[in-house]
Amino acid sequence: MNAGYLARRLAAVVLVLLVVSMAVFAITMILPGNAAVMILGEYATEDQLKALAAELGLERPWHVQYLEWLGRLATGDWGMSMRMSQPVTLLIGDAFWRSAALAGAALVTVTVVAVPLGVLAGMRRGRGADLGIGLFAYMGTAIPEFVTATLLLVFLAAPGRQFFPAGGFVPPGEDAARFLYHIVLPALTLSLILTAHIVRQVRSEMSEVLASDYIRAARLKGLSEATVIRRHALRNAMAPAVAVISLDVGYLLGGIIVVEEVFAWPGLGRLMIHALQNRDLPVIQAVTLVLAGVYALSNLVSDIVIAALDPRVRYA
Amino acid sequence: MSDAAASVLGVRDYSLAYRTGDGPVQALSRVDFSIARGRTLGLVGESGSGKSSIAWAILRYLPANAVEGGGRILLSGEDLRAKTRQQVADIRGRRIGIVFQDPSTSLNPTLMLGRQIAEVLIRHRGLTEKQAFAEGEALLARTGIARPAEMMRRYPHQASGGEKQRVVIATAFACNPECIVFDEPTTALDIVTARQIQDLFVRLQEDTGVAALYISHDLALVSRIAHDVAVIHRGAIVESGPAARIFGAPREGYTRMLIAAVPHPDRRLVDSHPPDGAQRLLGLEALTVRYGERSLLSRMLGRAQEQVVGARDIGFSVRKGEILGIVGESGSGKSTIARAIAGLNDFSGRLTLGDRSFSGRGALDRAYRRAAQIVFQNPDASLNPRQRVREILSRPLKLYGIARGRAEIDRRVGELLSQVLLPPEFARRYPHQLSGGEKQRVAIARAFAAEPRLVLCDEITSSLDVSVQASIARLLVDLQARTGATCLFITHDLNLVRQLAHTIAVMYRGELVDLFPVGAADAPDRHPYTRTLLDAVPVAVGGAA
Amino acid sequence: MRELARHPTGLVGATLLAIVLVAVLFGPLIAPYDPQQFHPAERLRGPSAEHWLGTDQFGRDILSRILHGARATIMFGLGATFAGVAAGTLIGVAAGVAGRWIDSAIMRLLDGLLAVPDLLFTLLIVTVLGGGTGHAMLAVAVAFTPGMARIARAAVLSVRTREFVQAAQARGESPVYVIGAEVLPNTMGPVIVEATIRVSFAIMLGATLGFLGLGAQPPSTEWGLMIAEARQFMFRNPWCVAAPGVAIAVAALGFNLFGDALRDILDPRGRQR
Repeated sequence: MNAGYLARRLAAVVLVLLVVSMAVFAITMILPGNAAVMILGEYATEDQLKALAAELGLERPWHVQYLEWLGRLATGDWGMSMRMSQPVTLLIGDAFWRSAALAGAALVTVTVVAVPLGVLAGMRRGRGADLGIGLFAYMGTAIPEFVTATLLLVFLAAPGRQFFPAGGFVPPGEDAARFLYHIVLPALTLSLILTAHIVRQVRSEMSEVLASDYIRAARLKGLSEATVIRRHALRNAMAPAVAVISLDVGYLLGGIIVVEEVFAWPGLGRLMIHALQNRDLPVIQAVTLVLAGVYALSNLVSDIVIAALDPRVRYA
Repeated sequence: MSDAAASVLGVRDYSLAYRTGDGPVQALSRVDFSIARGRTLGLVGESGSGKSSIAWAILRYLPANAVEGGGRILLSGEDLRAKTRQQVADIRGRRIGIVFQDPSTSLNPTLMLGRQIAEVLIRHRGLTEKQAFAEGEALLARTGIARPAEMMRRYPHQASGGEKQRVVIATAFACNPECIVFDEPTTALDIVTARQIQDLFVRLQEDTGVAALYISHDLALVSRIAHDVAVIHRGAIVESGPAARIFGAPREGYTRMLIAAVPHPDRRLVDSHPPDGAQRLLGLEALTVRYGERSLLSRMLGRAQEQVVGARDIGFSVRKGEILGIVGESGSGKSTIARAIAGLNDFSGRLTLGDRSFSGRGALDRAYRRAAQIVFQNPDASLNPRQRVREILSRPLKLYGIARGRAEIDRRVGELLSQVLLPPEFARRYPHQLSGGEKQRVAIARAFAAEPRLVLCDEITSSLDVSVQASIARLLVDLQARTGATCLFITHDLNLVRQLAHTIAVMYRGELVDLFPVGAADAPDRHPYTRTLLDAVPVAVGGAA
Repeated sequence: MRELARHPTGLVGATLLAIVLVAVLFGPLIAPYDPQQFHPAERLRGPSAEHWLGTDQFGRDILSRILHGARATIMFGLGATFAGVAAGTLIGVAAGVAGRWIDSAIMRLLDGLLAVPDLLFTLLIVTVLGGGTGHAMLAVAVAFTPGMARIARAAVLSVRTREFVQAAQARGESPVYVIGAEVLPNTMGPVIVEATIRVSFAIMLGATLGFLGLGAQPPSTEWGLMIAEARQFMFRNPWCVAAPGVAIAVAALGFNLFGDALRDILDPRGRQR
């Protein structure tokens, strides 16, 4: 994989972000017709609307507004939150790490648990273990996060049987043990759903690999089944598995919004919900761009990992 | 047949069925044959004959829905059916080897080729990794690979089809097995490479004395390399015996039919010369076809991006009523030319049909397109799966105004079907209800429905079984004679083209390298590449058939 | 149809869908109680003979509410998916047919839009337009459009190169005919499969929006909304949240499994072996 490939992928990421920024801008500034109405609500007076419109520079042609907005973003000026009167960058900075901790916990759990489960199910296609795992996987993809979250709360955080707190956050600096205590349920919620997705995909990949001609050829060379799985099958199933995991990061980012809301976890998701409820435009725009950026970057990372695993991509 | 005591591989009275959703399907019925040391048995059959099932049964790699009947499978006297899984795993690779048809799919794309040979040596001969790699290199050299050390470090996608197959063969021979099964090992390769691999096979087999089971659908090929031949049809061995006897004096009707269906240059289907005094119908001058779009970026920058040239500077002419055969390997550009003439690829240069001349794809109008019709190779893909035969055939009639009104169209469709020897009820059928040969007949009927002056046949028999190929070739020749259409017959099958063409054009890497009347195929002034091609093709089975 | 009978997960999916269908069509007719009626004396009870799934914080019968809410929840899913599929297929087919730079441009645009997770996209649109079922459906439809466009485009591209399409082009058929009669009928397969599976996502998204207060509004008995309303009381009677939760899962699972079965059936079998 050469520098050219990387450069092109990075350029693609930038392009994607540009498109997203245009979409965000369009949705939040242009579509409602008058952003001032959206922000202040239907009961604002004419004067209030005019004042806000002037302040935000809403009379200018929209492409001018867009470019100026883009320029400000690029230079690090992400504006002030309208409701909380703090710089957006500050708000996002804090929230980002908290969400990252949650997402990280979920991803690690998922990779450690889901991938081996998927491999196992793929190997035992049609037999006991596969049916059990498959069933779990199917159900997991049909249950929205908020339902899982709620059910977990009911079973594990009910008063009288409270194994884990029902929500909230304690900074790790303050009390590491309680921090972990609080992260379990939200991370578990996310993990369950992601595991279901990934198990399903890995299982299908694995069983497809196992049906391929080169696996047949390897077995007919007299290699032990363990060797066939380890050296031949896994290697070929891993690249698509990585692709799937990176796709699920997108799903994770959506799920985090709901999970943080249910468990009162003060990350980007919760910030977003509040911003949406309060129509806090700068925060809405910023969080959307950050999330889209994270997704695009994770795709880039996964592309690199896939190239490392699959020589066809590397030496193409 | 050889003395049973010296038999290395013996299949004795063996039967096999598969459980399917529609009930049990008998795949093999009391198959019986024996192969001695140093002998090759060619197992010949068409698709669905069960020949591959024998390979699976021998290797003990049957699918879960297989039900074995009676019979034994003996390797040097030991019954493989009585072996445990572990014993079978020990035998595979060490005492029995197998070479598959498609080396692209039977090699692991993410492992180095050297590793894939070495692992067999490590597993069965107990070599260390270093020893195994060294030995692997030696084996590759033995199979004719030019730079074995380098090849060991390559990945499959960095090797050509022929090189990959040599690696697979080297792996099969690595542990000096008693017996090797070859399942259509050259079918996926181009003609010249296939010939090289066949020669390699013969040489290695003579050197090592391995007992070989060579499965193929290609009678001509098998007649060249096998000592003994068994013909299998619908799961049963129809006839078996020494190769010379089978091909020289076949006893069973099926065998005779099969031999007769194999194209032989001496069995002409048409006269050797086209109708006298015929005018030129089709002319190509400096025709060039380029593929690939230049990306937006390079267009903006004005850079001339490398475009792939499918065919370069082609020029020839074809007379009315003539059959021009165009041969070459895959990638030679023969299909590219056909598609350009059919108006599917853009071209530069000059194309003349009758008295009209065209300088690019955009200039081709409906009148031209009606006059030049094309039939494709793959019968499964050339008919719209959602249309009935009636609709498929009536399209050209409606489009060109040849027939109007339901009654006339139906009548014409019926006529077309009978011309291609299909019953009129087939008009109501969907493509998936037809066999490969029947679909191809419909495709041909569709082309002739337009009353064309020129019919382009792009490998129309290549995807069909041997017996069906012969009937399709004959059908085409009949229709061509009846309608007086000119025909361009593209194929890689040299024997077939020598049967039915008046003139032969040879393509190599996008260029036209030779053009000659069919009678002059063996003349000394042929292009060297033509000679190579002709030499590479198995001498067809002769016969008082 | 016969093939469906041989597909175990497909049968399960079809069964679940049948149950859901019954609830949608006949729910209000077979519900034992009025979903809005309070039974103050029996608040927050578990399952009993009178109330098979128990009662919520106002004493309303949960079973009746679920049966009534089936329509809201499922119709949301079907409606949003249908709109998204229609729009997406149009764009995808246009891109696949136009080819060259138009296709590239559209693809880049789609790639960008797909970088925003579904839920986020939906939330953005709903915030701008305001809440409520109608806006939520529109939001989900818009969020689905890029994904469906991609599927439709891929299907068109794979069909476009098949020989029967080329045969039509070689004949000189008009582009309208080629697309209408040769290409489109053969691309519907993957599109339908994806659409069926997406209904399950739409149902879940709709429920999530209902839960967040941005989708269906009271007095609707949409299942997500039911869970939101009962959240405070979930510890006292878990059935208030468990019952609608299971209902959502059953509906989503039904469409999901059925769509998967459709894919297996419609896919040309025998890729290898």
